[in-house]
Amino acid sequence: MPRRFLTTEDLRRLSAAGQEIVIDEETLLTPHAEAFAAENGLALRTRTGGAYVEPAPDRGPDAERAQTTLPNLPEPKDEDSATSLVITAVGKNRPGVLSEVTTALATSRASVQNISQRMIEGYFHLVLTVEIPPESSFAKVKQCLECLGGPDDYVVRVMHERVFRFMHRV
Amino acid sequence: MTFTDQEILETVRMFELETLDIRTITLGINLLDCADPSIESACEKVYAKIVHHGARLVPVGREIAADYGVPIVNKRIATTPIALVAAASGAKDLTPFARAMDAAAERCGVDFIGGFTAYVHKGFSVADSALFDSIPSALAETQRVCSSVSLASTRAGINMDAVERFARIVRATAQATADRGSIGCAKLVCFCNAVEDNPFVAGAHIGIGEPETVVNVGVSGPGVVRSALERLGPDADLLSVAEIVKRTAFKVTRMGELVGREAARRLGTTFGIVDVSLAPTPAQGDSVAEILELIGVERTGAPGTTAALALLTDAVKKGGAMASSSVGGLSGAFIPVSEDAGMIRAVREGALSLAKLEAMTSVCSVGLDMVAVPGDTSVATIAGIIADEMAIGMVNSKTTAVRLIPVIGHGVGDTVEWGGLLGTAIVQDPGRFSCEVLVRRGGKIPAPLQSYKN
Repeated sequence: MPRRFLTTEDLRRLSAAGQEIVIDEETLLTPHAEAFAAENGLALRTRTGGAYVEPAPDRGPDAERAQTTLPNLPEPKDEDSATSLVITAVGKNRPGVLSEVTTALATSRASVQNISQRMIEGYFHLVLTVEIPPESSFAKVKQCLECLGGPDDYVVRVMHERVFRFMHRV
Repeated sequence: MTFTDQEILETVRMFELETLDIRTITLGINLLDCADPSIESACEKVYAKIVHHGARLVPVGREIAADYGVPIVNKRIATTPIALVAAASGAKDLTPFARAMDAAAERCGVDFIGGFTAYVHKGFSVADSALFDSIPSALAETQRVCSSVSLASTRAGINMDAVERFARIVRATAQATADRGSIGCAKLVCFCNAVEDNPFVAGAHIGIGEPETVVNVGVSGPGVVRSALERLGPDADLLSVAEIVKRTAFKVTRMGELVGREAARRLGTTFGIVDVSLAPTPAQGDSVAEILELIGVERTGAPGTTAALALLTDAVKKGGAMASSSVGGLSGAFIPVSEDAGMIRAVREGALSLAKLEAMTSVCSVGLDMVAVPGDTSVATIAGIIADEMAIGMVNSKTTAVRLIPVIGHGVGDTVEWGGLLGTAIVQDPGRFSCEVLVRRGGKIPAPLQSYKN
């Protein structure tokens, strides 16, 4: 039966008994024990013969099933390959705002699905729904767009479509 | 799927202007397999297991915040009650466990770790007793460790011996951290009907029926509810108020569900619950007291406050229950006095007494939370306040908690600045009459009858 943990005390006992220290694949060597082994020059061997690598965390018997048994919520049935984002820009109106935003989108190879703009008390509110292809990263698109404008100009916010799906659909 | 501009702008407004955020992602880690006859080995295992499971928590939280554009304020860890883990070691001083937890929390980059916990609502095991005695030094020596104890339940009644002992621990903890405004007591809470999946500190821990590891999420959003009520105006009737709170709670809860699922998926673990709580912060506008004032009381603590809070707590729960099938934890409205700008103002202006606060706790979701009392408050009086709160929870089959801070060196009316999320407290008056005899009697208050409800 493999140990769950290998502690400093285990190492002390095994080395005092002159036993070879073999670590099972699923055994967690505590950081204290690792340091102790290094200090005392203890040779630690794994079953496969290689150096000790921390095993992946065993999240318990419920974890695997939990990944596939979430209750129904407003999620698309077939996993769409493209990611949808919602982009909003709010600020003082001036020529060229839309062009700046869409140029940035074009460099990220995003395609616009929906676009609307309205003026409220001298401020424009621009809302775009766009899709980015799987090879574009959400974080990059977000970073590229949110650096547009400025405090005295306009502010862009990029959010994942799932946020709106969860918040506004029963 | 398409959304209207109103829907989109509403969501953006919630995040930008109304301080909507995910208050905490809390990873629960079962530590029962860390039990060991040697305390050194047990602590080593505790450290190793927490770091092993928790190492990815903070990065995953950051990734989700970046990927969804949803702010996640805190990442925390909750563990199995340490009294259970420490029992095999037979140690009298369990402070080393707290040190191991603190070091692991620091390594994982989390600001708080809960689970220095014991269940004593019917009596003490040897390890429970050792844990009680270790609380003052554990909280004084560590930064991040939070401690909670269960003193009563609807099924077991109130363990008054434990209440008295806990009151002494509260005083000792206040003394041990007297140089820092008795801040140790802010990390120490007692419960009636303790919940085993609470993601919020100081009461966070995972009970023995919980999975090996589990992600629980606490949402917030007093600012969102407050703005919605502001837009509703003072002329709408109370049904409309309940309705708007419910709708808002639905949306806020869904955010928690999204983040919780995503965190569980990315960590490869189980998604536990969303705790749908209006959790205030000292930030402007992020106040539950201001919501009560918008519902229609001039200051929190005025007549009508308990009724308004009852409406609010219930509507939040209803909206949350519709939004998620996994609502749990404490769910409702928190009324931590020092952490809520509106509550602080109400105390300062003399609107909110300790007695009114106690009445409010019979309908809120937690209890007497972050209440400062004079540093020279007697053990009997502290025990009496705790016993009253436990009785409210016990009889009403609800969770109640007490987080009381006797601020050493301060008297009634003094202001204590703790800073950060803990806020500012004004020392409140527990009254001058004693309950010495009641507390000295000791023993237990029997569990209440569950029928003849009047």
